[in-house]
Amino acid sequence: MATLELVDLAKRFSKKVWGVKKMDLEVNEKEFIVLLGPSGCGKTTTMRMIAGLEEVTRGTILLDGNDITDIPSRNRGISMVFQNYAIWPHMSVYENIAFSLKLKKMPAAEIKQRVQETADMVKIGELLKRLPGQLSGGQQQRVALARALAVRPRLFLMDEPLSNLDAKLRVIMRTELKAIHQKTEATSIFVTHDQSEAMSMADRIVIMKDGVIVQIGTPDDVYFRSANMFVAGFIGTPPSNFFTVKCIYNNDKIALEHSQFTLDLDPKGFEELKEYNGKEIVIGARPEDLLVVPDSEAVFTEEILVVEPQGSHQVVALNLSETIVKMIVSAEAKVKPGDNIGLNFNRKRLHFFNKETEDRIHLKNEVE
Amino acid sequence: MANVLKRQIRRSAKKTSLYIILVGIACIIIFPVFFLFSFSFMSDYETYSEWPKPLVPSFKAHFMIDKDVEGYHLFIFNKSEDDFMPFGPLVFTNNEKDVDNLRKFIKLQSNCKISSQQIVEYLEVVDSDSRVEFTIRKDLLANYILFFQVVNGAPKAVLNSLMVAGATILISLTIGGMGGYAFARYFFKGKNILKLSVLFVRMFPAVSLAIPMVIILAKMGLYDQPLGLSLVYSVGQISMSIWITASVFMSIPVSLEEAAMIFGTTKVGAFWHITLPLALPGLAACAMYSFIGSWNEVIAAVVLTQFNPTFPVIVYKALVGSQGQINLITAGSVAQAVPAIIFTLIIRKYIIQMWGGVKV
Repeated sequence: MATLELVDLAKRFSKKVWGVKKMDLEVNEKEFIVLLGPSGCGKTTTMRMIAGLEEVTRGTILLDGNDITDIPSRNRGISMVFQNYAIWPHMSVYENIAFSLKLKKMPAAEIKQRVQETADMVKIGELLKRLPGQLSGGQQQRVALARALAVRPRLFLMDEPLSNLDAKLRVIMRTELKAIHQKTEATSIFVTHDQSEAMSMADRIVIMKDGVIVQIGTPDDVYFRSANMFVAGFIGTPPSNFFTVKCIYNNDKIALEHSQFTLDLDPKGFEELKEYNGKEIVIGARPEDLLVVPDSEAVFTEEILVVEPQGSHQVVALNLSETIVKMIVSAEAKVKPGDNIGLNFNRKRLHFFNKETEDRIHLKNEVE
Repeated sequence: MANVLKRQIRRSAKKTSLYIILVGIACIIIFPVFFLFSFSFMSDYETYSEWPKPLVPSFKAHFMIDKDVEGYHLFIFNKSEDDFMPFGPLVFTNNEKDVDNLRKFIKLQSNCKISSQQIVEYLEVVDSDSRVEFTIRKDLLANYILFFQVVNGAPKAVLNSLMVAGATILISLTIGGMGGYAFARYFFKGKNILKLSVLFVRMFPAVSLAIPMVIILAKMGLYDQPLGLSLVYSVGQISMSIWITASVFMSIPVSLEEAAMIFGTTKVGAFWHITLPLALPGLAACAMYSFIGSWNEVIAAVVLTQFNPTFPVIVYKALVGSQGQINLITAGSVAQAVPAIIFTLIIRKYIIQMWGGVKV
């Protein structure tokens, strides 16, 4: 159980290619941090630097306040679960889990007990004598997990550990991983490109793009208070809808003019938008923040293009001036392609972004 | 109905003709090798019998002795003629010298062992019954034994060959293995060109390099020594070892080593505990490949040895200098070929993997 601190961490692969440009991060004790981002954003590189598998170009890594930047992996007190599991095929499950304990010269009886204990925790207690080749993908995953847990690491690293599992197993393992974390309370860093995985597991999410951190925050932070358009578009399924509008402020009224509609706002609570008078800004609306309303209350009406039933809800897609707008309606709603529906916005939950910088326009009384 | 039948006939005709062609090609390739093996087990008498020659060696020989006024006559059953044919000295008597000569003759010509006493007993039967027929089991390995007895330095040459092969394996596997590991694990400038260029050393035929090789080895004091020869072989084998071991190491995910390093080993330890055990079958195949290359090589060995020839040189010289006795030479050739054939069969899946990239 440890704290981790990354200070000005950077990794350059070649003259022009940066894996990570600048990374400052503090991880608290017992925290479950998820590094999230599209492929090539530097999240795996960051993890490999923390693990000591990648040399650091610049910056320092502090574990419990000690500089571990140049310490070999084996002495860092960390353990890691690899994307392809990386369990050793010539060793039995038992030997795989016991490998690091043996190297630490732990007494044989204690090793045996520790291995059994860990294996039971991840539910592979009966498979200890098998070779990895005789196990299914999910079981191999559990072996990798057990091997990493048996060390009782100060820091627990997971590099997209669930991405090789099928969809159903992935959801099961997600829950189990979280339960294991709550039990072991090991400080954990988890890398993934799957935003729903990140949302469901993380204490805090670190969203990365092009080698820099875009936003650090709790799942609620990144969902309800996305730092910029990239985060708003990346988090959530379906992602946020963006509308470029012109902000007009006169007569104590804010009007956001889109080519297809005009959204009137009560300036109370949206004072910050006044500065953008006459300028273009971007509205970000989550699919569930678009509401189906009777035509009389509608900001705009549009024909339904596609309906995607999801069981618990339905995703409705509209074609608004050549952009697809996706919204969520309840499962009971009777909607079908070709219907005209009236739409309004849940104004309290809207995001506003500066069109040039794509950064969030912070409002004073945001949803907590 | 008729159409279906027609199609079936056409299909089977196609298939049959294809198989005839394939079998024909196989025969052309296999028959010389088959005869090599077959002759190596035949006695002189079988080898130099009239046409048609026997396809397979016999396991025993059938003899007959009869007697007339001049003395005893020995006959051997000849399959080509389907009759007993005169064999050995036309006439002989029952004295010690004649019987001993007869024994030697039978042994040499038909690879059958019979004691003088046995012959005398048979002669006594002839005295009473006027003729006797008897069958003796052939000594199948007689040619091989004889080859190593009569060809000067053959056993020592085998020892030399083994020493050369062993040293070649050691040198080419250590250096080539390290090179292969580097090619498999690291990125560096000119990697592909370098990997291709290591094959260039195999471009030059040994004969064209013979004079410089002799001079250099003589200066090193390694001329006519197994170590010198293995150095020469290693040059070519290292490039092959690099290619084979590189593909072996590439098939082992680097994350296995990384995992080992995280879980407590050094980089060397990770190689030792994880990569080496996993690569062992592939490395063994590579070693066998080096063995075959070194064991079979003749030209450089002819040039670079004088009093310490390797086994293929001995076989080659026996072949060039022989007058007849083709069965003896084939025995030497087979003795030379068998280890290489066995090893080739063992490693073939690794070689296929290397060239085709097919995961076995």
